[in-house]
Amino acid sequence: MVAIKLSNVSKKYPGVLAVDDVSFSVKKSSVHGFLGPNGAGKSTVMKMITGLIPPTCGTIEVNGTKVGFLPEDPPLYLDMQVREYIKFVAKLNGVERADLKNKIDEILDQCGLAQVSKRLIGNLSKGYKQRVGIAQTLVYGPEIIILDEPTIGLDPNSIVEIRDLITSLKTGHTILLSSHQLHEVNLLCSDITIIKKGKIVGSGTIADIGKKLQAKQVINFELVNWNQEVAQKLSKSFPCDKIEHNKLVNSHAVRLFFYEEGDFKARLSRFLVENDCGLLAFKENELGLESIFKLVTEGKKQ
Amino acid sequence: MTTFFKGVAILSIKELKDFFLSPLVYILTGCFSLLLGWLFFNYLILSKNHTALSLTNSVLRPIFGNMNFIFLFFAPIITMRSFAEEKKRHTIELLFLSNLSHLQIILGKFIGVFFVSLFMLSLTVLFPIILAFSGFTDWGIVTSSYLGIIFSIMCYLAVGLFTSSLTQNQIISAISGFAILLGLMLLVATGNATNNFIVTQIFQYISVAFHYEGFTRGAIRSFDIAYYLSFLSFFFFLTHKSLDSRNW
Repeated sequence: MVAIKLSNVSKKYPGVLAVDDVSFSVKKSSVHGFLGPNGAGKSTVMKMITGLIPPTCGTIEVNGTKVGFLPEDPPLYLDMQVREYIKFVAKLNGVERADLKNKIDEILDQCGLAQVSKRLIGNLSKGYKQRVGIAQTLVYGPEIIILDEPTIGLDPNSIVEIRDLITSLKTGHTILLSSHQLHEVNLLCSDITIIKKGKIVGSGTIADIGKKLQAKQVINFELVNWNQEVAQKLSKSFPCDKIEHNKLVNSHAVRLFFYEEGDFKARLSRFLVENDCGLLAFKENELGLESIFKLVTEGKKQ
Repeated sequence: MTTFFKGVAILSIKELKDFFLSPLVYILTGCFSLLLGWLFFNYLILSKNHTALSLTNSVLRPIFGNMNFIFLFFAPIITMRSFAEEKKRHTIELLFLSNLSHLQIILGKFIGVFFVSLFMLSLTVLFPIILAFSGFTDWGIVTSSYLGIIFSIMCYLAVGLFTSSLTQNQIISAISGFAILLGLMLLVATGNATNNFIVTQIFQYISVAFHYEGFTRGAIRSFDIAYYLSFLSFFFFLTHKSLDSRNW
């Protein structure tokens, strides 16, 4: 079952193509991570799913009663009490008067807000404000919840608490959450979609994406001579994605990321010897998820 | 239909709570009452000299004229935060994602600011009561004047809501509200300056003050009411378009 399905969705702002031909789907009752660096178009995609802004072209299907949405800036009335605010949101979204009290008590308990229910939202800490933001998405019982960077700007303890809260929501909800931190998504989500500059880089289960991207190779070597000229030559003759270079005391550590599969090791060592680089060490590395993410979101394709 | 008004009521009750829990309303009401009380006192003293004029003409009509003028400035201040603050705090997204339609949101906000204005106006009921002690009995004109001022205030608030929906900045919202309202008032002067009868008539008709003037004379004319209602609908329509502009 598919809860959210985007097909060829684009969003054009004057002069900027914020989202470019995006297609992915979110399975029902899954926690889906939406990953990308800042300014990749995550928020725009999420706002389009909730219907706050229309896509320029493409279709978005949402199978669910209502969508609960926590934007990056939680929509909180700072001069309202927590309970009053949740009640207001519940009423706005048509919760029946008979269920109102029970529903609010249940949500406040679930989000750990019971002891602050009489306090003004403006006086709460950022972690609590974020909880009120999440409570606000839950109160009218949506099946789909969309959270835009729910842990951004919080202290480590609050981050753990918010994560626990999200984990507790797994049952009975489909959750789409965005983040620019991979380890967070790794902790919470079963599926991920990676977006970069408005384009989808990969979408699927974490294992699949890892496998797909892990095929890339990373080769570390240590050289005596290294200069820009060699680097240029290297990137011309090998399909490498990114070259990292660090100056050591009397040698250079160079790291190559390969965009394609294939065995370049023999050719590479010959190339380095022929160019009189003084090859000292040569080692192939495994890529962790963190570096994969770094690679796909920051790497320049040369 | 009942669900429509239930939605409007939820929002306007929240708005009213917001207003009456913040100092702005009390400051505005204080200033407004002070200004009008002062003017009322002056007109009352002066009325001794105008023995030929009735209390209606020497006190009541000038007071209602001033009330209209003061509200021209106060209405945009009442409405300035309606949409501007919601936009700034991103809470407008909460309203957009709720079950409320744009029309319900506009009406909810409008009813909120309308009741705040009525609250400000309510203290002026003292004036005719004071006049009654000196033998004033012209209650018809009091009623029609209040009807007129209420209609005029509604128009000013509709303009204020529209300018508030255009921006995130409350000051810009208030100032552009003044600008539109003053512009509407100056139309009469422009019309007179042209020396062209038709143009004068048209400009006069567009101006709110011209229609209000009838009410203060005790004349409730159907075309004035038609004017007020269409003025309101026009600015509600503009506000609706402005809220809808995120979909463009």
